[in-house]
Amino acid sequence: MTSQTYTFRIQRNMPGQVGTVQSHWQEYKVEAEPNTTILTLLETIKGGQDGTLTFRQSCRSAICGSCAINIGGRTRLACKTHVGTVAKDGVVEISPQKNQPVLRDLAIDIRPFFARVHGIKPYLQEGPERAGKVTSTAYDQVNHVTQCIMCGCCYSECTMAEVNPKFIGPAALAKAFRFVSDPREGLKTERLQALANPNGIWSCTRCTLCVDVCPKEVAPMEAIVKLRTRGLNKGVNTSAGAKHALAFHEDIKQTGQLNEFTLMMRTLGIVGSLMETGMALHLAKKGKIPSPFPHSVTGVDELRRMYESLERSPIDVETKAKEAVPE
Amino acid sequence: MKSHDLIIVGAGLSGMRAALEGAKAGLDVAVVSKVHPLRSHSCAAQGGINAAINPNDKWEVHAYDTVKGSDFIGDEDAIDLMCREAPGIIHEMDRMGTPFSRNDDGVIAQRPFGGASFDRTCYAADRTGQVLLHTLWERLVHSGIHVYEECHVFRLVLASDGHVAGLVVYDIKTGEIFGLRGKGILLATGGYGRVFLSSTNATTNTGDGMAYAMRAGAPLADMEFVQFHPTGLRTSGILITEGARGEGGYLINAEGERFMGRYAPKKWELASRDVVSRAEQTEILEGRGTNGAIFLDLRHLGRDKIIDKLPQIRHLALDLEGVDPIDAPIPVRPTVHYSMGGIRTDKFGAAPVPGLFAAGEAACVSVHGANRLGGNSLLDTIVFGKITGEHACQYVRSAQLRDFPANAIAEEKDRIQELKSRPNRGLRPAMLHHQMAEAMNTYCGVYREPVGMTTLAEKFPGWRLDYERIHLDDKSTVFNVDLLRAVELRNLLDLGESIVKGALAREESRGAHFRIDFPNRDDVKWRKHTLAFWDEGAQAVRLDQEEVRTVGNPEYAPMVRTY
Repeated sequence: MTSQTYTFRIQRNMPGQVGTVQSHWQEYKVEAEPNTTILTLLETIKGGQDGTLTFRQSCRSAICGSCAINIGGRTRLACKTHVGTVAKDGVVEISPQKNQPVLRDLAIDIRPFFARVHGIKPYLQEGPERAGKVTSTAYDQVNHVTQCIMCGCCYSECTMAEVNPKFIGPAALAKAFRFVSDPREGLKTERLQALANPNGIWSCTRCTLCVDVCPKEVAPMEAIVKLRTRGLNKGVNTSAGAKHALAFHEDIKQTGQLNEFTLMMRTLGIVGSLMETGMALHLAKKGKIPSPFPHSVTGVDELRRMYESLERSPIDVETKAKEAVPE
Repeated sequence: MKSHDLIIVGAGLSGMRAALEGAKAGLDVAVVSKVHPLRSHSCAAQGGINAAINPNDKWEVHAYDTVKGSDFIGDEDAIDLMCREAPGIIHEMDRMGTPFSRNDDGVIAQRPFGGASFDRTCYAADRTGQVLLHTLWERLVHSGIHVYEECHVFRLVLASDGHVAGLVVYDIKTGEIFGLRGKGILLATGGYGRVFLSSTNATTNTGDGMAYAMRAGAPLADMEFVQFHPTGLRTSGILITEGARGEGGYLINAEGERFMGRYAPKKWELASRDVVSRAEQTEILEGRGTNGAIFLDLRHLGRDKIIDKLPQIRHLALDLEGVDPIDAPIPVRPTVHYSMGGIRTDKFGAAPVPGLFAAGEAACVSVHGANRLGGNSLLDTIVFGKITGEHACQYVRSAQLRDFPANAIAEEKDRIQELKSRPNRGLRPAMLHHQMAEAMNTYCGVYREPVGMTTLAEKFPGWRLDYERIHLDDKSTVFNVDLLRAVELRNLLDLGESIVKGALAREESRGAHFRIDFPNRDDVKWRKHTLAFWDEGAQAVRLDQEEVRTVGNPEYAPMVRTY
């Protein structure tokens, strides 16, 4: 392999007045082979060119979760990202994680992220739902989730966190799934109820970015979807999100299409829907109010048979996560 | 100034396990850590944790394996204690929520490991350290114990009567330097892999606690015993677990020969680490390596077993060497991995400075002697985290807070100010570090010879002068990593000097310490611990010796060690 010169275009951030940071971009040149990791090259720059360049790192082997930064438009672990795979015309653009307050250069303030994790009570609890015996397959369900190293890549890319900073976020929800699925956890239902509160499992838009960017194949969104299913199975169905999903379910089963006219009422209730009057008027003005009397689609019988089949043998939310294929 | 009953430095497995004892005792305990607890290097331990939990195994056999593994220089009282406590610790971690891998019958699974006479290593795939660390962190969050996160300790402070008084702490996030008073201080700061250039360790493993303890008057023991792990990745030194050999992996040389049979005809790849590392180094030196490496061959295990039991190391090999172990052997070489030496303590983790305790890799209790067995370090961290935590709690119940010397904080502030005020010329910290670490690798490696080591030892006074001339590019207060590296570098210099001086003094070969000029073990002269003290007047390390603690068990009598 031959080495070449790469340009690192790095966002420099310095704390300014209280709560602000001043940013500019700075370029560094480094000589490297394409399979050199970004972390190695950041260290080269810091050690030999500019000691002020600031970033977190520790283990160098993708297990401590320190070095998640935005490299070439994606949040990745610097220690397992090869420069050759992210450089565009020899240039690598690097900035801190998104959706997080920045302390300095590439180092973010990790406290808000961990506060969300603390919020889900990240520990086993004693309680009536604790199983006596742990079987050999007990962790097939949680194994992929316990691979989480809390690096924050998922939160940085989360499209919901971007618009709603109160969203618990993929990492914390995956952690919650780890406890709900553990036979030793004593308060599974209580957890599912708490997770169905606003900013919890039903806030996820299932955009799958968290699955894409996760460096440890945790697939947080999969965990979130399984939490929803388990909640519904345990009768945790009073949240707006759950009602929305159940309304979808009923409509499709009945007519093969959504009754959007009544969907909002069934999701938000009467009071909630009245709060949305403005939106309704806006839609009416544009001629977008759907008919309250949808007809059945052709082939709805086939759809119903699919439902019946699924209800006889439901998708197994206890199944093992798929084996991850490395890049 | 804030005060606590007990302050624990370090939030890896030992530190967090000790903290839980404080919570149980209802004491005011705080943890100070330069990284978030989940970033602690305990997470990088892969293969497993030893305990005689199988009814056909006995803790006494585990203890014997450990005594033999230590090359008969481990302290037998501490080894007995650790191995007896081990099964209880596994079941406790299981109850806390660690997802150990399990057999079909639901019993915690165990795999064979080097130097062990029974398949005794419990594991969670190949990320045992990570799941243990996350479990203890979960309990720590549950306990509500305060953690000073991303706060670096700059100094261990003693009162005028020689008792610990507290710490001078630097908040990395803000640059604030402040004091913390404590009736007891427990150092759980881990190892010093960065003394060497090539290491499996994290860049944060700078042995800070050991260096501070030594500067405060507590001796370090057995620093010359540095474990070289047989399977660090060729390029980066990153760890490939011994579990890979436990699962049946072979070591082969460039000629494709499975060579371990020539060195350890009974245990082959599962001889103890010192034996395997020397065998590999010999193969490489005699020209049967490729670019300074030999190979770990897992191909015959098959795809399913590799994916099921060794998923993480497959990714590491792919990410860092571009090799998929399903299709090709992984280039590996002996790499600095673990420090058998550390802060000298009794079997309860108490150091000779009153109020000072140490646990885990930072301590030399000593359960590992001259060579640690794979799977015994995770065990050490949790068992002695618990025992030392318990013991420290008992101690602080009857101890008094001491007056914090008024000048300690000012002196540290001055030291930092002076460092920052140096003009921007001369060495950067990274350059001096590189010089020392490279020389340590060259002259204090798997095979050691006196001329090289003498040259190395004589370099330290010069490096200390250079240290006074390094400059910082970064003068700022928020997240100044440049400054931290400079502070850590002094610790690395102290530890490097204690390692090479110990290695030069020990005129025998034992465990991980192999002298070309003294190739045999010498129990008459050298069945002793080396102690390293900081000599303030000379600004250098001076050595002493101490007897090994024995328990009178005739089975522990030194014998020829073969595998």
